[in-house]
Amino acid sequence: MSTDLHTLSGAYALHALSDEERAMFARHLEECEACRDEVREFEEVVGRMGAGEADVPPVSLRARVMTAVDQHPQLPPRVPPIERARSRRWTTRLTVAAAAAVLVIAGAIGVAELQGDQGSTVPSAGVAQVFHAPDARIETVPTSNGGRLRVALSEESGRMAVRTDALRRLARDRVYQLWAVHNGRATSVGVVHDLATGKVMPIPASGTTVAITVEPAGGSPQPTGKPIVSVDPSAV
Amino acid sequence: MSEVGLRLVPDRGPGDVDTLMGLVARGDRTAFEALYDALSSPVYGLARRVVRDPARAEDVTQEVFLEVWRQAARFDRDRGRAKTWIMTITHRRAVDAVRRSESHRRQEDRAVTDEVVTEDPSERMIATEEHDAVRTCMETLTDLQLESVRLAYFNGYTYNEVATLLDKPLPTIKTRMRDGLIRLRDCLGGHR
Repeated sequence: MSTDLHTLSGAYALHALSDEERAMFARHLEECEACRDEVREFEEVVGRMGAGEADVPPVSLRARVMTAVDQHPQLPPRVPPIERARSRRWTTRLTVAAAAAVLVIAGAIGVAELQGDQGSTVPSAGVAQVFHAPDARIETVPTSNGGRLRVALSEESGRMAVRTDALRRLARDRVYQLWAVHNGRATSVGVVHDLATGKVMPIPASGTTVAITVEPAGGSPQPTGKPIVSVDPSAV
Repeated sequence: MSEVGLRLVPDRGPGDVDTLMGLVARGDRTAFEALYDALSSPVYGLARRVVRDPARAEDVTQEVFLEVWRQAARFDRDRGRAKTWIMTITHRRAVDAVRRSESHRRQEDRAVTDEVVTEDPSERMIATEEHDAVRTCMETLTDLQLESVRLAYFNGYTYNEVATLLDKPLPTIKTRMRDGLIRLRDCLGGHR
């Protein structure tokens, strides 16, 4: 990445980038440890600058906040719910899927959009955009073959994204393939051609899990093996 | 840098924000109230400085604490102090609020420079040690660094807008922001 991009760290920490630039820089951050360190330091600096503005809020606000808090459950920590989701959903649903008739619901989960992803920097920015959405919920999920998948959901934008750069590298003739699994039916969401790119997709309907399997190069019409990971978006 | 030292020798009294955050992450409502009491002034103060309107600053403050409560179990301690995390959320939400409401005005009216530059930042502040240290360090910045940082941070302008307001090239503003923060960081490192 260019040094030119690196100099955006100040504007980034000041929240002074446009949404597009923010997403682009966020993606750069994932690859640049020095930049992450610098942003972290800057965030501490501007946080202190902000704290210097301390001003006592009206007493009534405290009760308002506590009431709001009582109406909203806390989100669960990142890994455990996914682990549960994996063992429960996949085993009960996808084993059925293997025997089930193949129902291609192309479009339902934005296949065309996903395939348009490849080989350009735009979709990666899309992935970063979901990860850095103000309302993003992010999970890191271990895979059964020793890698990690990062998942982000942004209800506001209606999008879900996965970062695949921490997945295990595969032999040349194998690829990772994403599936939407609903009522025992698996629909291909696309093949991951470049682990660095990730995928962005509309948030699947309730009851649909997103799973990844290892497939022969080019992908398969239906999963040929057990998933290495399965994510229930509603548990993210 | 010193962040690491802070974590190795933590100030973990019962009222310490990081300690409270750990309890809040486990659903402790009493700890959450203590967290609110510890940070509601900086959160509200920053929100008010950015959005200006006190009622909207209250809304932003409420949003921030709700997010802190909801996301507590997902707060990544390795990424820094809880207070920094909460102030980052506050600033982001305050800036979002100000951009939502001012986008129209800004598109049509670029003549906000006067209002912005003549604003006295010390008007409403309450005196704190934090403020003294920050103010001392802000004095070490060049005028252009200071103005770039302040317009972005306290007024919620993008660096593009700052460049327009100050009539400077984009790359200049971009680097002045970064240089300004580097200078602040180095100065505040000596004022902990």
